[in-house]
Amino acid sequence: MRKPELVCPAGSLPSMKAAIDHGADAVYMGLKDATNARNFAGLNFDAAAAREGIRYAHAKGRKVLMAINTFPQAGQSATWRRAVDTAADWGVDAVILADAALLDYAAKTHPNLRRHLSVQGSATNYEAINLCRDLFGIERAVLPRVLTVPQVEHVIQHTEVEIEVFGFGSLCVMVEGRCLLSSYATGESPNTAGVCSPAKAVRWAQTPQGMESRLSGILIDRYGNDEPAGYPTLCKGRFEVNDETYYALEEPTSLNVVAMLPELMKIGVSAIKVEGRQRSPAYVAEVTKTLRAAIDAAVSEGARYHVKPAWQAGLGKLAEGQQQTLGAYSRPWK
Amino acid sequence: MPLPDFTLPGPLAAIARHLPERPAAFAFTTALNLAKRAGKLAGDWEFLEGRTVRIEIEDLGSGVTFTAAAGRFHPVGNEPEVRFAARASDYLKIALREEDPDTLFFQRRLKIEGDTELGLELKNHLDALELPAFLDRLRPH
Ligand code: SF4
Repeated sequence: MRKPELVCPAGSLPSMKAAIDHGADAVYMGLKDATNARNFAGLNFDAAAAREGIRYAHAKGRKVLMAINTFPQAGQSATWRRAVDTAADWGVDAVILADAALLDYAAKTHPNLRRHLSVQGSATNYEAINLCRDLFGIERAVLPRVLTVPQVEHVIQHTEVEIEVFGFGSLCVMVEGRCLLSSYATGESPNTAGVCSPAKAVRWAQTPQGMESRLSGILIDRYGNDEPAGYPTLCKGRFEVNDETYYALEEPTSLNVVAMLPELMKIGVSAIKVEGRQRSPAYVAEVTKTLRAAIDAAVSEGARYHVKPAWQAGLGKLAEGQQQTLGAYSRPWK
Repeated sequence: MPLPDFTLPGPLAAIARHLPERPAAFAFTTALNLAKRAGKLAGDWEFLEGRTVRIEIEDLGSGVTFTAAAGRFHPVGNEPEVRFAARASDYLKIALREEDPDTLFFQRRLKIEGDTELGLELKNHLDALELPAFLDRLRPH
């Protein structure tokens, strides 16, 4: 059984160092612009921080992956191409790309720079993944969080491209790269502007009925005083449907696959990814430490592997809406 | 050792509520200016120019409102554009990198009202700082 790589998020240099110090095999990061899917004010890396982070990671034998995983906007493809050139120049270990034209550019201009297909590329079947391998020489694909374990296994059995899956973090339920909810409310989406629910469109207000969360004025949710909150995304709002007000699409919750690590390893998953470049170093440290311990235990304990309550308690505390789920991996109804 | 949860004693809040906020705000912004001059606040703080931020300490019933002008921080008395509210112990946990602000937000221990983007930008700038050693000395050993 091969040990999957643990891939952790870094939105800043302290987060990157925290991931490396707590056992990440690889960290992923992005530039301070719309070329990556976490384009938040003040987040991400300038040249000085990136070079220091890459030096720090490589000195400890870890990898740095650079996400350039949004879609070049009309007339601006030079910005995205420049990001790929920058990644090659800095000596990152791989670029994570979604757009076909950008993959083509990277393959032709920097053939020796390893290419991963981003989750934003939205490839959910082996035909799509093998096509990207044939056309652009991708060596890894990150699967959207919508497949069951047997479906992931089916993909792995039919491709030699490495498969990376999400292991922990906020859920995006709509086949990443195909969701229009954020565009509907704000005109910006992960693919176009690198953000779902841009902060400038978000307003929270304490009212006598509770805390209201609004996106471009649209009321997404109203939390009672002790009710846990989630991110202000439309998919995790409470809406009135047929006279009933409830989480009609998805609840504020985080994915957590610690309980099914042995299964994911058995079917041949190459890497486990942690979501959350927008989170702080404290989150990165805690999640990395816990998943490191769990993956190591799944390898060394084999059939005796069991989930330690402390892991789940630690991860549960950090989870969106204070809830955890196995997500699509376990959908008995498919 | 992690910092224990605590709430500031009630009598302290009773006193604080009757004190003018200006002196505390002045001490706070002076500390920020000193830290900046000593190179402890690396990064580009331009985004705070002319913006008004309020940091409210719930268990003290008080807080500070400040702005930045020509690269220096000053206390101000006007309506803030963004307002953070939390207990003193939670602010300390954030500063010590023991708690993630998003976690505290999900748990409803940290509140943000007003200009969310300004608040997020401030949070991200603080996250990008390497933790100064003096903060680590606040931790119980
Ligand atoms: S609205 Fe929800 S499902 Fe859609 S992109 Fe955002 S997080 Fe994903």
